[in-house]
Amino acid sequence: MFLTMKVAFRNISRQKKRSFLLAGAIAFGMLVITLMNALTGGVVGTIRDNFSHALGGHVFITGQEWTDAGQMIMKIRPDENLDRLLEENATQIEAFTRRSQAMPTMIFGSKQTMQMLYGVDFTEEDKLLDSLVVTQGRLADVLVEENAVILPQPVGERLGVQVGETILIRLETLTGQQNVGELKVVAFIEDQEELGLSAAFTSRSYLNTLLGMDQHEYQILNMFVTDLSLVDSFARIFREGLRTPDEGEEEAEPQVAVMVAGVPLDPLAEAEEITPWEGTRYRVMHINQIMEAVELVVGVLNRVGLVIFLILLVVTMVGITNTFRMMMIERTKEIGTMRAFGMHQKQVKNIFLWEATFLGLLGCVGGLVLAGVISLIVGNITFDADPSLQFFLNQGQVVFDVSLASVIGNTAIVVLISLLAAYWPARAAARMSPMKALSSHT
Amino acid sequence: MGIVELHNVRKVYTLGKAEVHAVRGVTFSIEKGDFASIVGPSGSGKSTILNLIGCIDQPTDGVVSINGTVTQGLNDKALTRLRHETLGFIFQSFNLIPVLNVYENIEFPLLLGKDRPGKKEMREWIEFLVEAVGLADHMHHKSNELSGGQRQRVAIARALATKPQIVLADEPTANLDSKTGQSIIELMKKMNAELNTTFIFSTHDTTIMDIADHVIQLLDGLIVEDTKKSAKVGSLS
Repeated sequence: MFLTMKVAFRNISRQKKRSFLLAGAIAFGMLVITLMNALTGGVVGTIRDNFSHALGGHVFITGQEWTDAGQMIMKIRPDENLDRLLEENATQIEAFTRRSQAMPTMIFGSKQTMQMLYGVDFTEEDKLLDSLVVTQGRLADVLVEENAVILPQPVGERLGVQVGETILIRLETLTGQQNVGELKVVAFIEDQEELGLSAAFTSRSYLNTLLGMDQHEYQILNMFVTDLSLVDSFARIFREGLRTPDEGEEEAEPQVAVMVAGVPLDPLAEAEEITPWEGTRYRVMHINQIMEAVELVVGVLNRVGLVIFLILLVVTMVGITNTFRMMMIERTKEIGTMRAFGMHQKQVKNIFLWEATFLGLLGCVGGLVLAGVISLIVGNITFDADPSLQFFLNQGQVVFDVSLASVIGNTAIVVLISLLAAYWPARAAARMSPMKALSSHT
Repeated sequence: MGIVELHNVRKVYTLGKAEVHAVRGVTFSIEKGDFASIVGPSGSGKSTILNLIGCIDQPTDGVVSINGTVTQGLNDKALTRLRHETLGFIFQSFNLIPVLNVYENIEFPLLLGKDRPGKKEMREWIEFLVEAVGLADHMHHKSNELSGGQRQRVAIARALATKPQIVLADEPTANLDSKTGQSIIELMKKMNAELNTTFIFSTHDTTIMDIADHVIQLLDGLIVEDTKKSAKVGSLS
């Protein structure tokens, strides 16, 4: 085998220009599919990160309970069971937030706008203030006054409000009653609208008061996990740990059907007939459930990329077949010599097949290197893209992420197609009569 | 019994609608250790007979026996094995493998078989052959870096690499000048004497056939004279 491999490998350097062109054609195909895979892989990662950022976590827990008046509301009460689960799984949790939320109408003078408002425990979420980019005012003031609010800059501009001034908010309590409150603007922050996230922040205790909740209650528990690959199993631990005995077994993970203010909500409210229950029922969702639709689109894109790749390879395959036919004619006498000395038909065939393999691998390596260089260059360019496109970018930059499995898979396809292309000329070379081969003038 | 025996061998080629009778019933025997020459003008059937002995072609009729094995009816695998184990080849245009250097070209036939000698033994043997053909200083040269005479020396060493019982040389001096051709024939003779390998070479050069101890003369596909140095064996078979 080593002899055939050695001869095949050296044969590649015989006609350098021809080998270069063939390997180049293969490399181009590999470049296209690798960039396509890397781009879609990167986009999935970026969207996942941006979603996580926008939603404030990887795993989201909401709680639902029935009021005495037969109304279902969304809130989580202090719960020892939930606290125990958080404690037991602390090593897998990078950070978590317990927030209330509302979509109030903010009014200042004659101007008004609707704005997502989060009720945050600023002492618990000590890193939040560090992550916000302040454009005016002082973030720390939010800790001083209970009804202080941090507003996105564009919201402030829309309302025409200045730092230090007070705005009015109108919202519905959890049970649907109208309520009003006052918020004192302490700072403006850079808007994150491009990520689908335009949020204002106030203290949770104050927002809870306006929503008709107790101080220690909240509406959504968001968790960032340390290892995103384990998010499914992590979510399952909480789903099972929080299930009440009367809830029964769930057949599958709940599907994300309703999004309110960027937060996935349980579709249970849409169910046909719901029998009220005692206490709180929890719904646990995770980022991958939201990403399913994105991954579906990416999967289609990858398949389109694969088809383009295969078309390119088929075109290249014709070139490889023709080249190998030419090579066979050029080396007829050599084949005769090798056969005369005792080389079997199979070994002659193997020389050509090894050559095809080496060409394929050479093309793959070339394509991968080119893809690496291009992704490195493009990945370092910061695009001033349309805000709607920012969701696909990481701080304005395209992220390329190619998986080893796709590289191996694509390489295998290239080698297989190269082998297929070379097979018929190789077989013809092997079956050539030694006598005819030796009497050839080529 | 000879190491090579041909009995009433015929070979007919079909060229379009025409039939070419290249060999028209030849019978001869070559003994082990012979330095045999098949001579005749172009088209007399020399190369065809060498091809038949070399198992790269099959007779239309008659029996070809190599080292006691009748070649008729053998499949490609068996013929290939027979060639590898029993025969060595020297070609008119050297036919060295261009991507391999001198050492690798000589090593090439050794690597084809299943029963290979050990690495050290193989290296020593190849070095011996390279030394014997006078190319010790060109061990790592590629064929395009050698002269015609040097290439044919490599081809001789390659033909002897597997220690074959028979070496076939089809007009080995045809592409060489007379002085180089003479030295090549002398080298072959030397190897024949030292290794007791049977050499069968074809030529149309009457000046170099004198060195042979067994001369088979052909004309139009028939033997016109079969002479051994000691005695005339026969004529017009």
